Amino acid sequence: MKPERGKRARRSLGLVAAGVVLAGFSLTGCGGSTESEKTVIEIVQYKPEAADYFEALEDEFNATHDDIELKISSPNDASTILKTRFIREDYPDIIGIGGDINYSYYVDAGILADVSDYEGLADVNEGYLEILENLEFVPVDGTYGVPYVANAAGILYNVDLFEEYGWEIPTTWDELIALCEEISSEGILPFYFGYKDTWTCLAPWNAIAVSLCDADVTKQVNRGETTFTKEYRETAEKYLALLQYGEDGPFAYGYNDACTAFARGQSAMYMIGSYAAPQILSVNPDMNLGSFVLPANDDADGNTLNSGIDLMFCVTEACENKEAAYEVLDFLMENENIQQYIDDQTAIPCKNGDFTLSPILDGMADYIESGNMTDFQDHYYPSEMSVDAMLQTFLIEQDVDAFLADFDTDWQRYNRDIIRMVQDYEASRE
Amino acid sequence: MKNDRKVTFLLITIPILALFVCFNTIPLIRGVIYSFTNFRGYGSYDWVGLRNYIDLFSDARVGKSYLFTFKLAIVTTIVVNVVSLLLALCLNSKIRAKSFFRGAYFLPNVLGSLVVGYIFNYFFTYILPAIGSMIGSEALSTSILSRTGTAWIGISIVCAWQSIAMNTIIYISGLQTVPEDVYEAGGLDGATGWKQFRYLTFPLIIPFFSINMVLCVKNFLMVFDQIVALTQGGPAQSTESISYLIYNNGMSGGQFGFQSANAVVFFIVIVVISVTQMRITSSKEEQL
Amino acid sequence: MKIRHKSNWGAMTVLILGLSTIIFPLYMTVVIAFKQPSEMTNSISGILSLPASWSLQNFKEAMEITDFWHSLFNSLKITVLTVVLAVVLHSLMGYALGRNKKSSKFYNFVYLFIVSGMFVPFAILMMPLAKQTAEMGLDNWFGVVLLYVVFYMPMNIMLYSGYLVNIPIALEEAARVDGASTWRTYWTIIFPIMRPMHATVAVLTALSVWNDVMTPLVIMAGSDENTLPLAQLNFQSQFGTNYNLAFASYLLALIPILIFYVICQKQILNGVVNGAVK
Repeated sequence: MKPERGKRARRSLGLVAAGVVLAGFSLTGCGGSTESEKTVIEIVQYKPEAADYFEALEDEFNATHDDIELKISSPNDASTILKTRFIREDYPDIIGIGGDINYSYYVDAGILADVSDYEGLADVNEGYLEILENLEFVPVDGTYGVPYVANAAGILYNVDLFEEYGWEIPTTWDELIALCEEISSEGILPFYFGYKDTWTCLAPWNAIAVSLCDADVTKQVNRGETTFTKEYRETAEKYLALLQYGEDGPFAYGYNDACTAFARGQSAMYMIGSYAAPQILSVNPDMNLGSFVLPANDDADGNTLNSGIDLMFCVTEACENKEAAYEVLDFLMENENIQQYIDDQTAIPCKNGDFTLSPILDGMADYIESGNMTDFQDHYYPSEMSVDAMLQTFLIEQDVDAFLADFDTDWQRYNRDIIRMVQDYEASRE
Repeated sequence: MKNDRKVTFLLITIPILALFVCFNTIPLIRGVIYSFTNFRGYGSYDWVGLRNYIDLFSDARVGKSYLFTFKLAIVTTIVVNVVSLLLALCLNSKIRAKSFFRGAYFLPNVLGSLVVGYIFNYFFTYILPAIGSMIGSEALSTSILSRTGTAWIGISIVCAWQSIAMNTIIYISGLQTVPEDVYEAGGLDGATGWKQFRYLTFPLIIPFFSINMVLCVKNFLMVFDQIVALTQGGPAQSTESISYLIYNNGMSGGQFGFQSANAVVFFIVIVVISVTQMRITSSKEEQL
Repeated sequence: MKIRHKSNWGAMTVLILGLSTIIFPLYMTVVIAFKQPSEMTNSISGILSLPASWSLQNFKEAMEITDFWHSLFNSLKITVLTVVLAVVLHSLMGYALGRNKKSSKFYNFVYLFIVSGMFVPFAILMMPLAKQTAEMGLDNWFGVVLLYVVFYMPMNIMLYSGYLVNIPIALEEAARVDGASTWRTYWTIIFPIMRPMHATVAVLTALSVWNDVMTPLVIMAGSDENTLPLAQLNFQSQFGTNYNLAFASYLLALIPILIFYVICQKQILNGVVNGAVK
């Protein structure tokens, strides 16, 4: 009797363990079992703030197309999700990403498909296609993304305050400093920085650098032609010079504090991108918000608008039905859909055509129309170098030489493999 | 019969151990392999030999993160264990509204890190400086998170606040294993208050003290959420913890290979510390 | 008896003082959860003031955004199954290791090996696990459960084997003399006696699982299923976070786990051991 019970017990123990493992494997069949004749096109896009917009588009597309089923997801942590899906070799058909260094990596890794045969590209603003090309570490044949919308960074300002005091929009660096002095003399804070969140440190940095440096500084450095110590000195000095015109202890307040303070009229200006407008308006929906280009150059004509690709669509190499993907792209690129997006997100369309821009961007309209725009410097920085944190350190320690020297050393360290690739490429051309 | 015992133990251990190896050891080994590459997390990669490990020891940022992390972990571990042992003793004594108090002290552990981050940011940025200037304290009149010398204290406070609940629960369940008669016998010998705790209660809850020490050291050496919620490594990169670097640069950034090397070294360091710690405390345990 | 009474008041004082560090954040959470974004300010009196109206609108909206009932169901499914498996498997393993690690080098090694697993930084496991679970067809909620069973194994085994130190081996020996097998002894004597520890393990495991974002994010990426913490990510983005909705949602998510804790903590208290030892 007893030994038998022991045996049964042992057997059931084995069953528990085996069951746990087996149950796992038996679930294998779950994925992809629903087969239908429809072609499924899956988009993963990285802007969760636009989730509602994409949900509406998805519904509209599926209601009007019988042969293609569109699935769009707008996860919060898209870059982690994309990376984990790449490592599993489970690629979405289309990915919606920004024009930054991740795009460069994806092109380099051969994840993206060449879309130069996509007809819609003809309508895309030349300037943005150039930005895409610049993002490639070494020139690659073909086009790997369809720019959708851009953003712009510079200075947002409180229009009512400016009108009340009769302040003029500055067009040169000296005028900007004079304006700051004037605003201060009225007992008003010119800027609110919110430098506690390190990424906000990048916004003024980019906006100053575009008007003072070549767009492709980082590439020149990679080719060994110059150093950041030389190229970034003026940018660093001007960046530091603005620090005195903001709140006391800017490292105590974050992005959210700065948006709230600016929305509540605690400062006249805020050096940030158009992307901050929805957050600012959520605190104070009646605020009269304006924008202008940060005039970092001493010459008004030397200034350029800091603008980069905020969202583009790339078809992956793994996408099986490129035609269906293009059909989806056509739909996304329809004028009314783009108009809807730029209304929701205060964005700038990358497509040529007759679009109505948000009045907030009026101050930047001339630059946009004439195409006088330069990409964000930080789109070329590898995120692990943490330039945002380096800038915060620089603002705290206020040592220009040390900052620039560190920038050069760290650049070499974090970009070692890329620099070697670039130099191999250069050598092969000679 | 003796044989039955042995066989049963083996039959329990082997399948569960297999499960553990499958989902912990094997992926760890894969990670170790990546630490010898310049893998970015996707795409192709090259073998770089020991380059990552050599870089690790010459990277000032990594060195700084070790100093910060250990300082934080040691201080917070001490604070948490003292406070949660005290709380556990209080919550275990005969008090009114016991369930209410136990429930309340559990709350900090349940609030999501977005909420905790927002509230403590607000507290450190606005409320504490207001109190500071009210009492005329120079040191408190600006946010402690905004100064490189004091930001770690803010993080330590939040870590302690959040994890005291968990350690208290463990101490409370430890206190349940102390048989009533030990106190009765002790009461006859005249052991009361501190003496009762030191010579009767504490020796019996050493296993739980040991567990709490290990868990604290582990949790605080691997501190990550609180850094993201409070400082993102700032100001001036003074609060970059090791896990923060590993995650931020390895997962979000393109340094997967290098940060894998960092993780491997870090893993070895914590294992050595914790195993030593367990050896010391387990030699003081007594099986009833 | 007298001594007990004295320490009561001391304990009460400490507990009440300590409570203020919990009431204050909780008050802020509740107040913010009821406010509108336009009521948010940077002034202390502004943030501490009561909301303009106590409307449940935020909660309603938060439930819509997170697809609350569906996400809640997924979270519950994962949490409950993990807790059940943890209590069954980890207690068994804790028993096997706890009873043998002093006398056997093999078990001591296994114990230290598993406990060491706790210190592996998750970031290094993430990529390999994402790949491995996909290869095994476990890139779904069940895979997440299995991973949790592995992740919390070290802590729970420590807890169980620590608890066993204070449970006399004599109890088992008595059963053995009566002719019961080890397996049977475990289920009839040891497992019930560990009830307070089961409750502790259940609470700690449930809590960690309930709040975890990373594992489901990485493992379930690409599936349409969301857990509650994953759905809550929708409230925050780099350029704008709706704290009011987020706080409302976190308050909602807090309720189930709090109820679970209140139930379990009665078990932790039950002090079965004391009775059993006598």
